[in-house]
Amino acid sequence: MSSGSLRAAARVLAPSACLLAVAVIGLLFGTYWQYVVAISITAAVIGSALAMLVAYARCITIASGAMMAIGAYGATVPVVHGNVPFLPALGFAILLGAIAGLVLAIPGVRFRSHNLAMVTLVFQAVVIIILRESKALTGGAEGINVPPPVVFGHAFAGDAEFLLLCGLLCALAVLPMAVLLEGPFGKNLRALASNENAARAFGIDVSHHLVAAFTWSSALIAFAGAISAPRFRIIDPDSYGILTSIFTLAYPIIGGMGSIWGGLVGGGVLRAIPELLRPLADYIELIFCALVVGTLAFFPEGAASLIRTRRRSRRAQTGLGPRAERGSLSAASMAEALKGADPRPSRGGEGTSPDAPILTIESVSRSYGAMRAVAGVSLSVPARSLHGLMGPNGAGKTTLFNIVSGFISADEGRVRLAGAPLDAIPIERRIGLGMTRTFQHAAVFQRLSCLDNVMIALGRNTVLQATVRSISAALNSAAIRSERRAAMAALEAVGLVARAAEAAGALSLGDQRRLEIARAIVSRPQLILLDEPVSGLSKEEAQRLRELLLAINRELGIAMVVIEHNIGFLVSLCDRISVMSEGKIIAEGDAASVVADPRVRHAYFGEREAAA
Amino acid sequence: MIIVGGLKFGAIYALAALGIVVIHKATRTVNFAHGAFVLAGAWATYGVVEVLKIGYWPAYVLVPIATGLLAAAVELVMLRPIRRADMFAVITSTIFIGIGLSEVYRLVQNTEMMGLPNPVSGPPIFIGDVIVTKEQIWVFAGAILSGLVGLAIFGYARLGRGLRAMAANPRGAVLCGYSADAMNAMAWFLGGALAGLAGVFAAPSKGISPDLAISMITAGFVAAVIGGFDSLRGALLGGLILGIAETLAAGYVSSAMKNAVSFLLLFVVLLWRPQGLFPEARIRDV
Amino acid sequence: MILEVSGLRVASGPMIRVDGLDLSLPERGCLALLGPNGAGKTASVEAIAGLLPKAAGRVKFEGHDITALSPSRVVRRGVALVPQWRELFPNFSVEETLLAGSNAARGRLPIPADAVYELFPRLGERRRQLAGSLSGGEQQMLAIGRALVTNPKVMLLDEPSAGLAVGIVRTFVETVNRIRESGVAVLLVEQNLEIAAALAESCIVLAAGRVAWRGPARDAMNSEEIQRAFFA
Repeated sequence: MSSGSLRAAARVLAPSACLLAVAVIGLLFGTYWQYVVAISITAAVIGSALAMLVAYARCITIASGAMMAIGAYGATVPVVHGNVPFLPALGFAILLGAIAGLVLAIPGVRFRSHNLAMVTLVFQAVVIIILRESKALTGGAEGINVPPPVVFGHAFAGDAEFLLLCGLLCALAVLPMAVLLEGPFGKNLRALASNENAARAFGIDVSHHLVAAFTWSSALIAFAGAISAPRFRIIDPDSYGILTSIFTLAYPIIGGMGSIWGGLVGGGVLRAIPELLRPLADYIELIFCALVVGTLAFFPEGAASLIRTRRRSRRAQTGLGPRAERGSLSAASMAEALKGADPRPSRGGEGTSPDAPILTIESVSRSYGAMRAVAGVSLSVPARSLHGLMGPNGAGKTTLFNIVSGFISADEGRVRLAGAPLDAIPIERRIGLGMTRTFQHAAVFQRLSCLDNVMIALGRNTVLQATVRSISAALNSAAIRSERRAAMAALEAVGLVARAAEAAGALSLGDQRRLEIARAIVSRPQLILLDEPVSGLSKEEAQRLRELLLAINRELGIAMVVIEHNIGFLVSLCDRISVMSEGKIIAEGDAASVVADPRVRHAYFGEREAAA
Repeated sequence: MIIVGGLKFGAIYALAALGIVVIHKATRTVNFAHGAFVLAGAWATYGVVEVLKIGYWPAYVLVPIATGLLAAAVELVMLRPIRRADMFAVITSTIFIGIGLSEVYRLVQNTEMMGLPNPVSGPPIFIGDVIVTKEQIWVFAGAILSGLVGLAIFGYARLGRGLRAMAANPRGAVLCGYSADAMNAMAWFLGGALAGLAGVFAAPSKGISPDLAISMITAGFVAAVIGGFDSLRGALLGGLILGIAETLAAGYVSSAMKNAVSFLLLFVVLLWRPQGLFPEARIRDV
Repeated sequence: MILEVSGLRVASGPMIRVDGLDLSLPERGCLALLGPNGAGKTASVEAIAGLLPKAAGRVKFEGHDITALSPSRVVRRGVALVPQWRELFPNFSVEETLLAGSNAARGRLPIPADAVYELFPRLGERRRQLAGSLSGGEQQMLAIGRALVTNPKVMLLDEPSAGLAVGIVRTFVETVNRIRESGVAVLLVEQNLEIAAALAESCIVLAAGRVAWRGPARDAMNSEEIQRAFFA
């Protein structure tokens, strides 16, 4: 097995191995500690589930208590009332949890932040009330006795054997979560939490991903509730109340928001602390609250961030600057890099006759109340060409871009890509049609590495694809390796291959803009929309970016529409330029004549016209 | 008659909701610790009445000042450094600050639930053929009046102008010489005072316990959402609506439904008309 | 010199928006800050007003260092900004907006709202009207009026002519001259060379955050260099 495959497998198996190891170590101690370890392991599982929702997707959920209750009762009631064996009952509990997550999420993900938190609180409260009122089934407020789990005829009544069973099952349960979080699904969650617009522009459907995240998390939390119930011997609705939900939130926050380990370790340790620090038992909750608030104020990334910042500062000192430039801009090597990495034929110009326009904007208008932001704009961009868009502030350029990329709808008119109308097509699907874009304020996914940023930009980002690719990544399959190669080739083409593993947020602005371009080209689109690609860059950096864009256009045949205020840059890059003012196109033509056009000068300088 | 009972609780909810909306309008923060501020108010009332033995009527003045100061302190000391981070951190912090405050109560008082006698007693009055207790009238009138006073301060007084300017456009407000820090502290003071006042009214009928904190934050929230979250009038109205709905449910369905009602109402409103009764339309600045 | 800026550097994250700006504004003087979009003009005045953090540099007003002051303190000292997007309160009436602005003048001599109504009679006719329902030109007047009631010694105007119809622009030039006559120095950010030349004594042209040209305003109108700075 190659080292890459070993590493991928290790990354995904490590959490499970850790849980199992902890369980085995716990066997060495007395029965009380075996109890503590078993409960802590289940809490670690809850922590890892919450890592997905809270740490990765940045959702506040106050419903974990309810999910635990659903799992606990879901596994216990069939056993007590129906004589169902433990393992199938466990499976039923997990299924119930998943359904609960789905029911919560489908209306819930319409909202973000505090409204979402309130919806989860509603869910939490209603579930507990239902459990409390269904006396016949659940025993109501007095609770229900939970018999020890019986697997294949053997009752795991003793502490040691229960610990072992618990460790084994938890290790198994955590594995899918680790696969998802380490893989593209987890990266997509981080991306949508980092910058929703950019995530959508590269094919990530935010609602779908959040619903999936809620479903997987809830299923796992329900599992944890189900497996811990027998050890508690009695379960009652009030032990799964709002306070429980709120305190589980602390697991990923204190443990660390950077990876599954934060939730895992946070859960295990924080659950064990009240047992370890018996004399402080009364004050524990207060201490936790102080810890959480303190962590949020001073270490927003949790305890793990302290370790990471030290490592990062060491790496930052080694070789920057010149190395980044070494990435060759030579056309030949770039073309080779890109073509070699992805056997798919370049879509640039293929299938469309060389003269057919790649983008047509037909009489598009858009108003905001009385203000006409875009007024009857028509534009035609030939395939493989470079087209500039300029104009004073408020002229409507960015609105036009947003209409073309799908972020805003047009009141009138139509946009076509390679002849096909884009009207009803949501943002997430436009990348699949061969159109990508960059953003005015370098919208890279700050906390993801450059490589991850570009891999997301390959565009295979529906929930199903992301899940399959996550399994693929865990197995280090050929498919994921070729994706990685394509991404590295794109990074090499823009000169960032030396920084592939660095977090995008640590890059200089010039490098972030290059990263955006790497993202824009890796899916081999037909058209890229570039929104102020050199804003904020020095003359030299702008020059280098211009050469990069020219090379990309030449070698890969990708058409580009560029909005810029730096007119010299536009003139030196584009074949044709359109000038917008007050929502209309006032001039269009080849670069030199447009710039000399008196109407254009007037729009910028207000020089007195003869007529006025 | 049930409606009258509902109006009384509704008025308390309205006060709580008003505080939440004041804080949100002026500082764009949703204060999940608000219920704990109400608890603090109820607890302080106990302190004033039973411990300091000053009497009930001073409590209506002293307690809101105390809880106002508490809220302003929370904002200055704990939320200021966190505000640098994102919304997620701020919301989560207020959640845990709220729980922390409830814990402090539980630890110091060493008991879960405490009670207070009614400040207003006497034989009930008949309005038409409806029996109304003096207490109900007092709470309803007192809470609603205070709410209207709060609304007036926010809406018309010089002090309120700064808060409203902050609410409408923080950058513009700052250019008028309103200090963002001072305005934030003021908004939290006002919100906290309203919460404390709700606590004074709530203490006799709802008791003093950590449950009060949770029930008031949810009730306050639901009322605020019904009203449109950024509308002060909406908060008052939403509270009344919620109070009536709850008591109706308790009377005609079951007492368990009473708790569920507020949550179900929230769910329904969020799904069906998330902008609430009085959506605050933001007029576009050309 | 009533306002002195030296070595101003403003950064937003990794983007350096202003790199080493020096300027001096004499009492009752008028200086125009010109340049294409993205050149750093707005960033400069917003940093002077305290709205943006300064990565480096010093700002002195009336000889006192105001570099580290919060924006509300800056306006209370007497440096008022009329921002590019006006930043009005949509649900405040004209009257109330001016009342809000007068908050910054507390402790000093207040400028009565009537002075603003005298300067802008159209506002005087619409005292109770909500700011959000005013026309673009009226909103601009109100934004300037709000800055005036703060009793400033220095006014920073960020692209005040943007979006104004040609007819109003002429009135606008007169207005600014009257403001200067009452003792206020003006730092004007403009893209419109004509207006800048009509109002200012001297100009600074910014390009990509740096000073590309500096000199008397009448030279700016005819300067090849400036056109190059814009289109280079």
